[in-house]
Amino acid sequence: MISVQLILLIIFGLAAIWFGWRVFMTSSMVRSALSLLGSMVAIGILFIIMEAEFLGVLQIMMMGTEMSIMAIFMMMYMMDPGGLGQMDMYHQKNISIAAGVIVTVLIVGAAFATDWGTIATQFPGPHEQNRLLGMEILKRSMMIFETAGVTILTGMIASIAVALSIKNSVEK
Amino acid sequence: MTPFLNGFIITLLFLSGVYAAAVMERWSVTGHVNWGGPVRSFLLLFAREEIKTRKHDKVFFETAPILFIGVILLTISILPFAPGSVIIDLGTGALFINAALVYVMVALLMMGWAINGVYAMIGGWRAIAQLIAYSMPVVMVLTATVMRAESMFLTDIVESQKGLWNILYQPVGFILFYISALAIAFLPPFDLPTAGGELAGGVWADLTGARKLLFRLGRLTLVFTVSAAVVVLYLGGWMGPWLPDFVWTFLKTLLVAASFFAVGRFMPRIRHDHLLEYNWKYGVPLALYNIFQVGVVLLL
Repeated sequence: MISVQLILLIIFGLAAIWFGWRVFMTSSMVRSALSLLGSMVAIGILFIIMEAEFLGVLQIMMMGTEMSIMAIFMMMYMMDPGGLGQMDMYHQKNISIAAGVIVTVLIVGAAFATDWGTIATQFPGPHEQNRLLGMEILKRSMMIFETAGVTILTGMIASIAVALSIKNSVEK
Repeated sequence: MTPFLNGFIITLLFLSGVYAAAVMERWSVTGHVNWGGPVRSFLLLFAREEIKTRKHDKVFFETAPILFIGVILLTISILPFAPGSVIIDLGTGALFINAALVYVMVALLMMGWAINGVYAMIGGWRAIAQLIAYSMPVVMVLTATVMRAESMFLTDIVESQKGLWNILYQPVGFILFYISALAIAFLPPFDLPTAGGELAGGVWADLTGARKLLFRLGRLTLVFTVSAAVVVLYLGGWMGPWLPDFVWTFLKTLLVAASFFAVGRFMPRIRHDHLLEYNWKYGVPLALYNIFQVGVVLLL
């Protein structure tokens, strides 16, 4: 069964892999981070093609911010302003090749060994999906999400508190 | 009227709105209204030789302006101008606004870095800090509008304002979104990524010709787009008496855009650290308060 959906799925899947490969083939941290962003956006588009609109839009939104932050932090630590440093994006070449091959075999094996069941033909529309997701978050998965949410909020408040300048009275 | 004719008129209105924004932008800098100015600037930049910096990053240098204008056009395509007059009616429209505008930041970062110049790079990093800081409250206040509409369809959000516009229902959210919209479109007083005085043009410092034209055009479209987003989310969208619905959207959008430029004309540029400080220390807590307030009102 070849449909437009399937063709798009293959194109963006390949794009995700290609960008993922580019992450290690560039010579600068910023190019690397933005290649990873390209890969993540391609995955977000895969979600949208597979009718999981909320997940796709969320992925695209979060990754845009996250990868930019990653780029600026890498820049701060590595000091490679214009990408002229000709850095290598990989080290311990033999071990990393071995790890890559083993993990790829495992993932492909898992993909083929898993019984994926029948492909769903009936699924709720985007609006209904959002509602169901909300219900899921606020009912069965509430504990998990609330724990994560409160942890993140604590982190946010703590980081703001750390950033507050405490005005000591200056001794003259 | 047929949908096609409607679409044609909306496109014409949108283009004239962008032109009006260009005139107002010039006014906000010089204080003179010059109706022919944007055409002259357009022709000048169009015909000007493109000077490229040495050792620029080719890929980013070519893709950044296209990404910039592309994401802005994507944002326009999900904003409803009238019931039924929306190009893509997304089930996650409210979230998509922010998702698309995040890539304005990515485009600025790419361009600032690709040019390989000092001013542009600082401008790019400033853009990142500024836009991340301001997209936080944007998501939170968008959540509050979604809470009221119980739907992320932007058309539903407009419909939910039938009795009372969101500007009165959630004034704190409106103020935060308005300020954040200014910051996201990096308009004065938040024009730090492209600051004229201190960074000599920032991200745009080393750009000439067609690329600069694309960025300038993209920014004007961005201003008009975020104004339309303010209208859709807080000012009742197409609602209004007598006139056709899309005319109301257009007039309100133009008014919001004019107010943006007026703010820019009469406000001094904010210091970069102050800008971030105001937002993280006051903007984010206020946005959380806004969610709380809307939640309480909804449950009462």
